[in-house]
Amino acid sequence: MQSKAGYLTGKLIELILTLLLVSLLVFTAFSIIPGDTARVMLGPQASESQVDLLRAQLGLDKPLPVRYGEWLWGLLSFNPGTSYAYNMSVSELIGQRLPVTLGMSAIAMVMVIIISYPLAILSARKPGRLGDQICSVIGHVLFAIPPYVASLLLILLASSLFSLLTVGTYVKPSDDFLGYVGCLLLPSFAIALPKIAMSFKFLRSSIIEQRNADYVRTSKSHGLSDLKILVRHVLPNSNVSSITIISIILSDILGGSLIVEQVFNLPGLGRLLLSAISRRDFPLLSGIVFYLALITVLLYFISDIASSLADPRIRLK
Amino acid sequence: MPNTHKNRSPEASAFYTAGLILLGIVVAAFIVSLFWTPYAPDATDAASKLVPPSLEHPFGTDNFGRDVLSRVMSASKYTIFISAAGVAIALILGTVAGIPAGYYGGFTDRGIMLLGNSIMCFPGILLALVAVAVFGPSVTNVIWALGLVFAPTFARVCRVGTMEIKELDYITHAHVMGVKPARIMAFHIFPNLVPQLLPATVIGLANMTLFESGMSYLGLGVQPPDASFGKMLSDAQSYIRVAPWLIVFPALMLVFYILGLYFISEGLRVSLSKGGK
Repeated sequence: MQSKAGYLTGKLIELILTLLLVSLLVFTAFSIIPGDTARVMLGPQASESQVDLLRAQLGLDKPLPVRYGEWLWGLLSFNPGTSYAYNMSVSELIGQRLPVTLGMSAIAMVMVIIISYPLAILSARKPGRLGDQICSVIGHVLFAIPPYVASLLLILLASSLFSLLTVGTYVKPSDDFLGYVGCLLLPSFAIALPKIAMSFKFLRSSIIEQRNADYVRTSKSHGLSDLKILVRHVLPNSNVSSITIISIILSDILGGSLIVEQVFNLPGLGRLLLSAISRRDFPLLSGIVFYLALITVLLYFISDIASSLADPRIRLK
Repeated sequence: MPNTHKNRSPEASAFYTAGLILLGIVVAAFIVSLFWTPYAPDATDAASKLVPPSLEHPFGTDNFGRDVLSRVMSASKYTIFISAAGVAIALILGTVAGIPAGYYGGFTDRGIMLLGNSIMCFPGILLALVAVAVFGPSVTNVIWALGLVFAPTFARVCRVGTMEIKELDYITHAHVMGVKPARIMAFHIFPNLVPQLLPATVIGLANMTLFESGMSYLGLGVQPPDASFGKMLSDAQSYIRVAPWLIVFPALMLVFYILGLYFISEGLRVSLSKGGK
């Protein structure tokens, strides 16, 4: 069996290699774009020498490996250059937008956990009963609704039922924290809906599987109450698989928030990304893409480590 | 092996029936739209803008007076076509990468899986958005981008399946008889992966539609004047209070298609797991 340190080293090497490959993918994508960036920025009237000067300023005249090295170093030292379109540092722009995207993802994740856990536990008590079946069918339907469609339907519902339209009013967390959470509730719920269904489904089948295990029967014959068995034995054992599921859900939520921001008109990373795409602002675009991928890579890394701590048998695989 | 049709479980049958009905609605709309739509999908009519659903326009009209039913019917074409073409690309790429990874193991395996994992590290539609940002929005680019993004999922299925199959006696036998690895993989391993690839393909179609409609909603997928569910929904957003039918009908069709595919894959999963163990 692999030692804990050996497993950790292996995972760390994998993490670094993945990050390198991810950065190479992003860099290659942005260096094979057709068209000369400096020429596009200056327009057709600019003279050849002006274009050359700008190209030198942007560092575009250097060979590709050097540019890759400088670009990667800039990203890792959180100084990834200046946006063409905004004339601001990329890290500052991302920093401004991050509270929206991260806040939304965090609220959505909390919603997923506080809704799916109780429902899954209740459903798994007596699988096949009416309540369980209703939950399962609703789960399938929710799973099939794209987050942005759910957002539109929620807006429709909110505007017709309560005749309120709070869309498009973003409150900064520094101004009014409760208002900030309030304006993110509806979009977070829209992102959370399909993930609640996903988490419910996995957790339910995992609890049902554990309940049929021999140790549960033994604990029962020892006279432990159902609640104690659930809290002390079944849930911790189901948690190992839910760590992986949660990391997948978190990454999906992050990806989903990019679109939902657009529906609710929230100034988050998704809208910054779209404006960077439409203005062909590549320093900004590559920065956002790399950092979002970085968050996901770290998330998967942490979840691997956490599940190996929770269940040392994983290290054998 | 999967259950035969004779002793299919009632649970699987219910999933198949529900799935085929939902999917059938969208596919029927697509097939009929090839020959006939009530109005031309692009025909504008200034006299009947934002008309609520009526006998003349069962799904109402939009802000240009275009018939929503006709547009929904013609939009189903892109949904079906893009998901099918994208899954085909993902399936081919995934199989070509996944089977050798599982068969050879070692360095080949690690290299291929590392590449696959790196692609999967871009959350949601991010990588597809980047590809479209670089190469420009068009249906072809969306298909290639989605095919690339989904290839690792299929590669994983193929890799795990191959690792199990290659330990079986008949593969060793074929190897001893001097059958070349490429032939073993193509004719002896691949056909046995089909039962695992089938549910993955159906789920892939559904997930790809989720992504494609999201990209079209953002304006980076199917380009106007062609109708797609995502674009219709994004255009309808400004009229959400005055003309909710502009949202409801495209959304329903989109969800029918995705849900139908999910139900079918769930039916496949149930009958595969019940028949196998």
